[in-house]
Amino acid sequence: MTATLPTSDPGTRRRPPRTSAVRVRRRGTDAPNRPVTVILVVASLAVLVPLYVTVAMALKSPSQAAQGNAFAPPWPIDLHNFASAWRLTHFPTSFAISVAVSAGTVLGTLVLSSLAAYAIARNWDRRLFRWSFFYLLGAMFLPFPVVALPQIKLTALLSIDNPVGVTLLHIVFQLSFSVLLYSAYLRSVPAELEESARMDGASTGQIFWRIIMPLLGPMNATVGIFAFLASWNDYMLPSLITADPGLQTLPVVQSIFQSQFGTNYNIAFASYLMAMAPTVVVYLFSQRWVISGVTQGAVKQ
Amino acid sequence: MTIRPGRPTTRGTARLSRRRFVAAAGTGTALGTLGLGGCANTGPEGSTTTIRFYEQKQEVIAYFDKLLRRFEKRRPGVRVDHDDTVIIAPQFVRDAPADVGCFNNNLELARYIERGVLSDLSDRPASKHIRKSIATLAERYATYPGRTSVLPYSLAAAGVIYNKRIFAKHQLPVPTTWSELLDVCKELQAAKVTPIYATNKDTWTIWQGLFDYCAGGLVDTASFYARLQEQGTDVGPHSPVSFQKNFATAMERARTLTRFYNRDAATRSYSDGNLAFGKGQAAMYLQGPWALTQIAAVDPHLELGTFPLPVTDRARDRKARVNIDLALWIPTGARHPDLAAELVDFLMQPEIIDAYNRDNLAYGVTEDAPAATDPRLSGLQPYVDSSAFYLGAGTFVPNSIPLGNYLQSAVATGDFEAMLKRLDSDWRRFAIRSSATSH
Repeated sequence: MTATLPTSDPGTRRRPPRTSAVRVRRRGTDAPNRPVTVILVVASLAVLVPLYVTVAMALKSPSQAAQGNAFAPPWPIDLHNFASAWRLTHFPTSFAISVAVSAGTVLGTLVLSSLAAYAIARNWDRRLFRWSFFYLLGAMFLPFPVVALPQIKLTALLSIDNPVGVTLLHIVFQLSFSVLLYSAYLRSVPAELEESARMDGASTGQIFWRIIMPLLGPMNATVGIFAFLASWNDYMLPSLITADPGLQTLPVVQSIFQSQFGTNYNIAFASYLMAMAPTVVVYLFSQRWVISGVTQGAVKQ
Repeated sequence: MTIRPGRPTTRGTARLSRRRFVAAAGTGTALGTLGLGGCANTGPEGSTTTIRFYEQKQEVIAYFDKLLRRFEKRRPGVRVDHDDTVIIAPQFVRDAPADVGCFNNNLELARYIERGVLSDLSDRPASKHIRKSIATLAERYATYPGRTSVLPYSLAAAGVIYNKRIFAKHQLPVPTTWSELLDVCKELQAAKVTPIYATNKDTWTIWQGLFDYCAGGLVDTASFYARLQEQGTDVGPHSPVSFQKNFATAMERARTLTRFYNRDAATRSYSDGNLAFGKGQAAMYLQGPWALTQIAAVDPHLELGTFPLPVTDRARDRKARVNIDLALWIPTGARHPDLAAELVDFLMQPEIIDAYNRDNLAYGVTEDAPAATDPRLSGLQPYVDSSAFYLGAGTFVPNSIPLGNYLQSAVATGDFEAMLKRLDSDWRRFAIRSSATSH
């Protein structure tokens, strides 16, 4: 970890490579910051402790889980929970549906929001575009439960009361926030770039796909990750929109482990762990983009 | 096949869900991996009719799945899909209700009964065998003129769950009157045993236990709410019926009982309560039969019994709190009403309904239903048999009145009068609102 820390600092990355002597000195000045280290260690516990409980619970037998001591180590280790969770959630089916819905949402959000943001950012002086931006932003203040019943009716009328409808609605609900991110970023992209492309005879579509889209790289990562998380973790929308319980996404199927009158902790946590795994893996591989993307959006140049 | 893609539901077999899934998946992405293997169907295409059965009580989903498979075996050419969506509304909103529903008979189901979207079941043979007093219970929340909208299937009776070992160790009798109950509590307290374990962090446990038991023992709940409804918007300390007036004694008793709670009751949740009670940390627990399986998960050999909470000084006043845990209904919009009726008849067969209630710690609802033999349940059977029961007072309070939260603060402060006053004013507001919408 120590090796990757300095490189993840955007400041050092842009600088020319330093000599090793300089780097050692730099590390030397950073090291004594003990209070910050202690705070970070404590803060990391906020993530690690629940994660430990999740893993430990998933490996316990039902009688161990019922003992109520979440921190007790699971012994003997019981792997049956994963098999039961796999069976009870119809894991392959619900997992595939969750993946399909999330992938569709990410793709749709990236394309639709970037197009909308591009149009808005480049036509800011026109009232129609400016107001359409405010209109899209207004949707951020509309929580889903408010429009739930009409949406159920509407999707049923259009025969998309299935994962397709869920994907479409996820894209639409993701639109306002993503357009906000994209348009803020697009304003920092100099218009001269486009002008030169236009001089060379590029159409608006070509400019967007050849010049703007590649420039949006880090913002695509940010928007994509937000869209993925929102879609992957959503419970309410798919549970209401999808008519066929056999076509439900993972979070909805997992609700069978929990009711007001009892919780099946060990199987529930095994199932949560299986549902969490892809998110964690995706994050492990994309964390560098995530961090850079977040800082890109934060600073307006 | 009568299946329309993207419409019906599946939870039956893995084979089926995969097939339906592929049929409905216009998504196309990432779905190819699933394949269509194992789709070979019994019988030629077109001869199978699929009906939908809606049941979402988590604990018995697998149980009903087995029953549905038995029905399919007995009735070739019919397939039953099990819809276990948690929320009941969407199927009615999208005009595609299940063919048969099985749901808790509560205020939520009452909305559907009241608006006439459930068909009349009085011509089903089984409706003649439902015990009269239980059939009446089913009509307490709502009725639709001229219809038997639901058929009771399973009755849950709740009282005080008590630890037989602790009672025997301190040579305590099962209390039959209010003063005996107080004596038992005081003796337990003197012996450094927590008399009553309460879990006030989960607010539903307060109204389900303390509020419902104390009120039900002193107030005829169903007629109280009927009179309250008739009274309209004029609810207050001077009106003929009001919470402040009719519930005053009951809440006085409730306040007394809270003195015998565990010290940390305010921060304990329902699952904490099951754990502590399973470990023998308290003598009594104001919970229903649903808690028994959770307690058994902690200690399967714990000897437990149930008695109705005595709230008066006459032993014969004791009553059990009941609710119709499951009731069957057929929506008027059912696609296959004839097959739905067949499924209802199948589920109502004595050997099936009795086995269900025996296996799931519930009480029978039919005239000839056998008594509950489980020692944890048998304590309340006489009260069920003699119809000495009431519907919980809290179950009549709509969700828009946060009864549980009011009770939580009343238990914490000891000021139950303020809570009753609040309930009256909330009920008045509720009555004003509902009278405005009905005109």
